[in-house]
Amino acid sequence: MILHTLNASPGSTAFRDCLATAGAADTILLLGDGVYAALPGSEAEQALLACPARLRVLEIDARAAGLLQRLADSILIDMDGFVALSETHPRQLAWY
Amino acid sequence: MQNPKRRQLVILRRSPYGSSLARAAVDLSLAMGAFEQDCDLLFLGDGVLQLLDGQSAEAIGSKNLGKMLASLPLYDIESVLVDAAALRSFGLTTADLVLQARLVEPAAMNTLLAGYDHLFSC
Repeated sequence: MILHTLNASPGSTAFRDCLATAGAADTILLLGDGVYAALPGSEAEQALLACPARLRVLEIDARAAGLLQRLADSILIDMDGFVALSETHPRQLAWY
Repeated sequence: MQNPKRRQLVILRRSPYGSSLARAAVDLSLAMGAFEQDCDLLFLGDGVLQLLDGQSAEAIGSKNLGKMLASLPLYDIESVLVDAAALRSFGLTTADLVLQARLVEPAAMNTLLAGYDHLFSC
């Protein structure tokens, strides 16, 4: 189980490489510039949905970006949720 | 002291001269080798370009990263792994690389990463 923290916009090589690497047991957490990939109907969102990993978005960064009203509550997590993810995933991999 | 059985992977995914990150990853790898930390390298995505044979970076005032990487077997770098799909996408084969590397196919990538205790991404 790997926690992939994806902090790069959807057009980046980080985004591409992260999605190519993440597996079904993993979680991808979007933060920073990464949150834009969750925009419903975007190409990036389609790619994320096709990826077997579980998707989460850091709420404070989604709020800052103006995405909060556009995203499903079920994928949003706060800082405590971030800490909880780091506890359940033995490995973390930063994409930036 | 850290448990010597811990397995660590450095993931290099930047082109060689576009930023200082590629060089930083090589420095990290060499430092880990110097401190006898068991460390493998994975060249992923654009990172495969770091291994391209025939680099000549003197003209742009940089050290030749390819030459530095070619010396990795002298340090305690256990194995060098290369993203097979990225290599193909650039029209390259292992014959174009400065050192012997093991190809990793996309389907095997996630299992490979899950086998390490620590992942360093540069």
